[in-house]
Amino acid sequence: MPLRVRLTLWYGTALALVLIIFSVVLYAITARNLRDGVDQSLEETATAAVRSLEERGFLPLIDEEELLSQFPELTRIDKFFQIFTPSGTITIRSPNIKQHEVPLSRTALEATFNGRTVFESAKYPNEPQLRVISVPINYRGRLLYIVQVGTSMESIEDTLHRFLILLIVAMPIALAAALAGGWFLAGRALLPVDAITLAAQRIAAGDLSQRLTMSTAPDEIGRLAGTFNNMIGRLDASFRQIRQFTSDASHELRTPLTVMKGETELVLRRPRPLEDYQSVLESNLEEIDRMTHIVDELLFLSRADMGEVKTGSIPVALQSLVEDIQRQATLLGQDRNIEVMLGTVMPAVVQGDELRLRELLLNLVENAVKYSHTGGKVEIALVTDSRHARLSVTDQGIGIAPADQARIFDRFFRTDLARSHTKKGTGLGLAICAWIAESHGGRIDVKSDVGHGSIFTVTLPLAPRPS
Amino acid sequence: MRILVIEDESKVGCFIKRALEEESYAVDLCEDGAKGLEMALATDYDLLVVDLMVPSMSGLDILKRVRRERIRAPVLILSAQSQIDQRVKGLDAGADDYLTKPFAIDELLARVRALLRRGATESPGILQVDDLILTPATRDVTRGGQRIELTLKEYALLEYLMRHTGRVLTRPMISEHVWNQDFDTFTNVIDVYVNYLRNKIDRGRTKKLIHTIRGSGYMLKAD
Repeated sequence: MPLRVRLTLWYGTALALVLIIFSVVLYAITARNLRDGVDQSLEETATAAVRSLEERGFLPLIDEEELLSQFPELTRIDKFFQIFTPSGTITIRSPNIKQHEVPLSRTALEATFNGRTVFESAKYPNEPQLRVISVPINYRGRLLYIVQVGTSMESIEDTLHRFLILLIVAMPIALAAALAGGWFLAGRALLPVDAITLAAQRIAAGDLSQRLTMSTAPDEIGRLAGTFNNMIGRLDASFRQIRQFTSDASHELRTPLTVMKGETELVLRRPRPLEDYQSVLESNLEEIDRMTHIVDELLFLSRADMGEVKTGSIPVALQSLVEDIQRQATLLGQDRNIEVMLGTVMPAVVQGDELRLRELLLNLVENAVKYSHTGGKVEIALVTDSRHARLSVTDQGIGIAPADQARIFDRFFRTDLARSHTKKGTGLGLAICAWIAESHGGRIDVKSDVGHGSIFTVTLPLAPRPS
Repeated sequence: MRILVIEDESKVGCFIKRALEEESYAVDLCEDGAKGLEMALATDYDLLVVDLMVPSMSGLDILKRVRRERIRAPVLILSAQSQIDQRVKGLDAGADDYLTKPFAIDELLARVRALLRRGATESPGILQVDDLILTPATRDVTRGGQRIELTLKEYALLEYLMRHTGRVLTRPMISEHVWNQDFDTFTNVIDVYVNYLRNKIDRGRTKKLIHTIRGSGYMLKAD
């Protein structure tokens, strides 16, 4: 059931209950007030009658006309009166009672004998209810007369009846009006929810650039829309990243394929000297190595992403690692007369995986050699403070533009400078370096000037000293 | 027909250049975007082959710039991006064709032929002047039904002359469209090649097709 319907129904039910209770109470109070009014008026009349009898010294009441002329209020059409003797016989009664007898009831007789005033209701067929008050008149401790004043309840019953009909008719109308209002209000309140749903459907259809454009008021809906937009923003960003990664990966893999396919097809187009075939095969071998390299690195990174790469955790002496790498890298630089030197090297031990750390450092030094100019210098240094070891690799090579510095650790990112400097490189090496540094609780930073060279610094936490 | 190839992946650039040269096109290769644009603006190329991802200036920017400078030469885009929106972007920026890497050499050459044909108004695929017929797809040349064997350069020169039948072609124009940038303008190589062609096409025939326009250059026409 839609929320709007449920809200309206709940609201309607609650309102109906309140209305019913309210009406019942209102009706009861009104009825009671009206009856009390009647009783009060009967009592006043009776009191007046009793007082007039007392003034006359309780003389036997004989002359009706005389009495009526003396107390004209007794003849008021809505009330009748009669006076009984204690034996129950009527001594006098008002003329408007003549249609039928209203005898003295047993309860009235008993109550008046005991000196109490009593109210009674009487009902005759086909007539409205009567309300009667019986008042004893005592003289010297003896019951002398019983004065009875009565009135018809017709007008009150009429009033109550009309009131009841009014309630019965008005209540459903009020309820219907309230339901319509509730339906309208619920609809209005839920309108932004519908808008969010529509927008979400558009977004779900694949357009992640869509955002909810409703008011960002700090109410519930505004907060929902804000949260929703944030979520879509993050989704969008990660989808973009994945798309970028996929397109980069396919580009990097397509290039060697293009070379292999193109060169092979070209050489097969016509008979050629043997050397031509040899050179194509050699070139293809290079491309195969390049693809193998990319695939290996991709595999490593995706396993690292899934947390499947295990790193050992043993004390590693960085000092000997640095010296080792320097010897290895000297060979790398020989072709282009690049000197790989050691700077300050302090002893330092970190907890970690020696093979990975070696890969990290070798990658950085290889990069430094790769992007150095012929005859340049590369320096490896290792310094420590109380808690960290800092490995740095400094070159005097082509450098990295400030705008690119934040992105060089992204997968497949290669600067234009790097691309035009050398075709070798997959764009994954630094991503792997960053992962290795982070998996050792450290980080990697770069400082660089275009044309002047770069400094890569790896900061690693030192192993706790054996106590 | 002179073609500029802008491709940063040097091995790819090299085999494209070689494949095109074996088809007798004059080819310049450039590995940098900005430099490539400079070359495209400086020389009247008949076709540009542009990779989308080249350093210093993207292929798309080169394309837009070239079109803004009202250079009409057809442009063939090469890209490792095979997504449709990439192709659409390239074609909308003014490219005439789009080839996804890796591609077949035969397809590249066929597309190049198709793009070069588009510039000419002749019936597709065949160039004819009088009884001299040249078929670019097979590089067959016949005159009066007789096959004529031509070297690569002779063929390139003849194709250029035939595509501009009835127009005076100066030596600089010929050198620009038939030879690549390594050509030395101060030699008489053009005259030598025109002579080779004359020997193969006009010698022994009453109707001469290749005419020397004194003081300016050469012209190929039927009368």
